[in-house]
Amino acid sequence: MALADYLPIPTSKLPAPLRGPSTKFVLEDGTPVHGMLAQYSKTPDLVHAVEAVRDAGYKVWDSFSPFPIHGIEESMGFSRTKLPYIIGVAGLSAAAMGFLLQWWISGDYPMVVQGKPFTAWQPFVPVTFEIGILITAFTTLIGMFAFNGLPRHHHPLYQSERFLSSSDDKFFVYIEATDERFDPEATRKLLEKTHPDHIELIGQRD
Amino acid sequence: MTQLSATQYKRRLKRIAEHPAMSAENITADRASMDKAAMVMIGIGAILLALTAIGAVVVNGRHALASYAVGVYAVTAISLGAMFWVMVFELVRSGWSAGVRRQFENVMMNIPLCVVLIAPILIFELAAGGVLFHWMMDDADQYLVNKKSSYLNPAFLAVRFLLYGGIWILLAMKLWGYSMAQDQTGDRYLVNKARFTSSWGMLLFALSVAFFAFDFLMSPDYRYFSTMWGVYYFAGGTFSAIAVVAIICCIAKFFGRMTGAITAEHTHDMGKLMFGFTVFWGYIAFSQYFLIWYSNIPEEVAWFTHRKENGWEVLAWLLVFGHFLIPFIILLQRPVKRSLIGLAIVGVWLLVMTTIDKTWIVRPMVYIRDFAQYNPGPAGWWLDVVAAAGVFAVWGGFLVRRIARVPLIPVRDPRLLKALKHKNYV
Repeated sequence: MALADYLPIPTSKLPAPLRGPSTKFVLEDGTPVHGMLAQYSKTPDLVHAVEAVRDAGYKVWDSFSPFPIHGIEESMGFSRTKLPYIIGVAGLSAAAMGFLLQWWISGDYPMVVQGKPFTAWQPFVPVTFEIGILITAFTTLIGMFAFNGLPRHHHPLYQSERFLSSSDDKFFVYIEATDERFDPEATRKLLEKTHPDHIELIGQRD
Repeated sequence: MTQLSATQYKRRLKRIAEHPAMSAENITADRASMDKAAMVMIGIGAILLALTAIGAVVVNGRHALASYAVGVYAVTAISLGAMFWVMVFELVRSGWSAGVRRQFENVMMNIPLCVVLIAPILIFELAAGGVLFHWMMDDADQYLVNKKSSYLNPAFLAVRFLLYGGIWILLAMKLWGYSMAQDQTGDRYLVNKARFTSSWGMLLFALSVAFFAFDFLMSPDYRYFSTMWGVYYFAGGTFSAIAVVAIICCIAKFFGRMTGAITAEHTHDMGKLMFGFTVFWGYIAFSQYFLIWYSNIPEEVAWFTHRKENGWEVLAWLLVFGHFLIPFIILLQRPVKRSLIGLAIVGVWLLVMTTIDKTWIVRPMVYIRDFAQYNPGPAGWWLDVVAAAGVFAVWGGFLVRRIARVPLIPVRDPRLLKALKHKNYV
């Protein structure tokens, strides 16, 4: 049973590791299908392929390349991450919390420091600033991991011998079975139109 | 660039020249109308400065000089900030900025004008035996003045002023000369020469700007001292220079110039730097205040005390919100940084704020020892507006005049191809 089964939200909204296998489609040996992998040997082929997949409306998919391809994020139709808004809210509220904490303590247990007034706001600024920075940094890091589903130590893609060359000289498009539009026949037809070297189904094995 | 052969380099220049954004009408301003605009600006500036001179007689000479000094210190900070950016761009061989660098150079070349504008302040101070520079006055605390007299004396001050002016003009002329020569010849090694000039120039720049700020903005109240003062003044100039360049680019875009040469990507980078240095200013300003507040040494605290009474506390709080918190929140937004109009609007706001910052520093010197002696009151405030606006108008007029005379981007810069293709992958 996957972790997603315990959560009261649609699994397609979850990051990949929490989503759990889709049992809608199975391989010949009964293993659930995890996704469909297409291999390309030229960069332009990959870029045209991701544009086709983007235009077909797929959401849960990715492309793989041995080196960065500038502009592929546009071809893949990436939308901007919502992380900055979460970070903004977290950082500002943490700064406010830091200020309130000091204000409360110095009201509850006033101490004379160098004859400065109890109500001075100046000494509170460094702590307010630092706690704002600290929580912002934590939210950024943790939020980034939560959104991209990292770190994960294994992925069903590693079963594919071909996929190993994604770090050498081949390019790949991978469409996951959890995508609403995924259908072994239709997806294969779409990928075939993009002239891949090879297409294969990947099973959900650990 | 040295790894390119001469043929390859020639081909690169050809590719730059053939770029659609490099068509002649796209990268040159309409000189006739620009000259007209410049004449109008200089004329308005001259009228406003003449009004300031009248105000010096009618209202108060000390007040008039302080108001004039506010404007001069603000435009000097902006010009110096532009020179800082030119040197940084050369030092780090920055590719993205090759196109906008020309506008920073244009602003930088107003430094000789700034030196000319500062000279009257010094002349009046020396001739009158101290107008705002209280250490020159007879009734200053002679014990402290004598202690500091090896540094704070009129002759040495004049020598230092000539030294600062000389360093700035030398650096500006050298950097400008390399850039102009490159426009003509396309010699790629001029970039390396500019880079070498920037390496030792940056050191001289840092020291001369810091000591200029000590001498002209800090020493008028001779009791006060802050080692952070130099970087405080410098911080005020860096983002203002970017603000001015953003305004120039916005106007150029409005008249259909630099299309394709200055894109949202360059605007985004300028916005990031503007954001960063606005925060830097806030950081420096607060750090200076905070350390002085905590240590509570009378002669340091007195400086702030004078600026937290008699209405100056309004400006102080205006700076906290208008100069730091509001721009911080606005410039945090990605769409603002990527829009030239947005950046130009924030730029105008920041230029007003940096002028208010200088006002807050300089203007209380008018009556710092005796509030009852001369209190301008709201009736005299027109002088502050007129003088600062006059200086800005003259400065802007000369800037417009220069923009019209050179291509809007360095047409044969070897890094220009990189700049034209520049893109932020975030």
